[in-house]
Amino acid sequence: MFSFLLTSVRKDLARWRQDKTALLIWLGIPFLIGGLITSMIDGGDGTPTGTLLIADQDDSLLSGFVVGAYSQDQLGDLIVVEKVSVEEGEARINDGDASGFLTIPAGFQDAFLKETPVTLTLKTNPAQTILPGIIEDATEILLDLGFYAQRLLGPEIQQIQDSSSNGLTDDVFVSGISVDIQNKINKVGPKLSPPLLDVVIVEPPPAEPQPDIALLFLPGIILMAVLFSSNSLAADYWAEREKGTLRRLASAPGVLSGFVAGKAVAALAVIGFIAAITLVVGFVYHDVAWNKFVPSLLWVSFGGVGLFAWFAALQMMFPNNRAANLVTTILLFPLMMAGGSFFPLAALPEWIAGIGRLSPNGFIVDRLSGELGAASAWSIDARSWLTLLSITLSGLAISTWRLRSGFARK
Amino acid sequence: MLIVEGLVKQYGDFTAVDDVSFEAGEGIIFGLLGPNGAGKSTAINCISGLLAPTTGRIAVSGHDIVKDGKAARRSLGVVPQEIALYEDLPAIDNLRYWGMAYGLRGKTLEDRVSDVLGHIGLADRAKDLPKEFSGGMKRRLNFGCGVVHKPKVLLLDEPTVGVDPQSRARLFDLVEAERDAGACVLYTTHYMEEAERLCDSLAIIDRGKIIAKGTVAELKSQLGARDALQLSGNFPVDATKSAIASLSSSITDLEILSQDEDTLMLTLSLASQHLPGIFDAISGAGGSVSETSLRSPNLETLFLLLTGKELRQ
Repeated sequence: MFSFLLTSVRKDLARWRQDKTALLIWLGIPFLIGGLITSMIDGGDGTPTGTLLIADQDDSLLSGFVVGAYSQDQLGDLIVVEKVSVEEGEARINDGDASGFLTIPAGFQDAFLKETPVTLTLKTNPAQTILPGIIEDATEILLDLGFYAQRLLGPEIQQIQDSSSNGLTDDVFVSGISVDIQNKINKVGPKLSPPLLDVVIVEPPPAEPQPDIALLFLPGIILMAVLFSSNSLAADYWAEREKGTLRRLASAPGVLSGFVAGKAVAALAVIGFIAAITLVVGFVYHDVAWNKFVPSLLWVSFGGVGLFAWFAALQMMFPNNRAANLVTTILLFPLMMAGGSFFPLAALPEWIAGIGRLSPNGFIVDRLSGELGAASAWSIDARSWLTLLSITLSGLAISTWRLRSGFARK
Repeated sequence: MLIVEGLVKQYGDFTAVDDVSFEAGEGIIFGLLGPNGAGKSTAINCISGLLAPTTGRIAVSGHDIVKDGKAARRSLGVVPQEIALYEDLPAIDNLRYWGMAYGLRGKTLEDRVSDVLGHIGLADRAKDLPKEFSGGMKRRLNFGCGVVHKPKVLLLDEPTVGVDPQSRARLFDLVEAERDAGACVLYTTHYMEEAERLCDSLAIIDRGKIIAKGTVAELKSQLGARDALQLSGNFPVDATKSAIASLSSSITDLEILSQDEDTLMLTLSLASQHLPGIFDAISGAGGSVSETSLRSPNLETLFLLLTGKELRQ
């Protein structure tokens, strides 16, 4: 029987490897879905950024401060400042290519120092909601700040402007003006910032290490590939029946169990190949410890054979190939939904996750998630392995019984 | 080598095979001749162990197919009516696979596969996929897969259905070669010419029952030297019957095989000499003849004589 089993394995692998399209589909769909999910989760830090166009027609020291102010601290994380001409700025804001467009007119600094009215023009993008508001608020704060700065440090600013335009800046001047500014700040500082509130900074408790959200999806996505492949491979019993080879085999002496075992081993090889590819990609992307690769691969591959055996047993219960194919294909989607292929079990309400873990693929996903997230490798317990073994053997036994009880003879 | 005794296969109230018995020995081609739906395939499925007989006994090389099925199947080779091949597996691998299914291993297997490839004329296409073969080549490979393990009893279920004349002749040669090598061949067909050409002895089956059995010569002798005369035209049923009966005094072995308003089938000796008298009698009965067909005695005539209908109806 063993040599016939090996022949059956070689026969099925030789036939299945010709169907490269199926292999691409089994791998392609989970990779596509996994890629989309991962890019949605890992695609950025969640902070929106906007562009502020500034046309600086004054090109003075003070207008330079204004332009620089938008790039400071947390505001700089939100807003990217681009200096443009008035024409370019008008064109781009009209095209919706920026969050805002600020025009600083010529004579801005002089007007500021002489306390004469001056108008800064800010145009915002009506198609955006959050970032233009932030730019408006920031601009108003800057104007308020400018008003107080002018009141407090107007003479000093004038001196700096005069010295830079006359080219008289030297170390003595810089140190003198710095001391004057510092003295004024020291004098008014306590009045401007009275310590009305006593802030006590409490250190938060050390946070629990949060699992990588994208990693939670990995087991379900791998099982999606395994489900597709195991269901398709199980359909080969119907294909053999329609070819007449199954019937021919049924008239040979005592080879049906070797035939079933051969198909299971061939399925193990194909599913193992698919599992290896998906796991390698997942391990590399999520930087999972490589000592978990072998147990994960074995678990997924043998789990896939269990699914294959049960899909085969189920398909052979139907009166024709079309019904068998239709029902098991329809069954795939609730299985994937409940078993954590679309939503990680850890992200589902506990009662739903509990039901999902009872599904065959959910059982495999749950243990694989545990293995990937565990502190050390080989975390899947013996009971789980035994359960998987009994699921697989029972599926194979039912398949063999169904072949003998008439499926192979028709 | 192959013994079938009182074989009955029922599906509910319908009896597909009804008390069929025959024996076939070594180096014999035994034919099972009958129209479509006569029960030939059901009988062969019972013999190959695919169907359990309702009653009766089948022994293959001394092994009961029900009680000792595994041993019986080891001696059996089956060439199904449909082409049952792995079309996406090279021809040589198909032969190896079926050889291994019947227990061949190692050098014995390789030697036998090589022999069969030569025998079926596919040695130069051994590594090609059957899906690239012509229909005749697939038929030959289908045959090769059934004989690769040198079965003592070979079951051929209408192996020439849909086969072109050239491939059919080649298949006949293959079947005869198996017979000459000592196999017992059970050959089912609804082609009378095939049965006459190939079979050493045969049974004619209709509606599940064997209605005649023997060698081709023995079966033909049941007809004597009578010809089969088929007339087309207009034949008032009762008047024509009376007119033909009135001729019986002058034509001693004249017999009506079948009759309806459009067709009249007669059997008689030296039919060509009696045609004017027969035409006159029909004319006198108010009928007319538009077409005449005269056949020498053959198995088809015998089937007509026995069942009143044509073999291919």
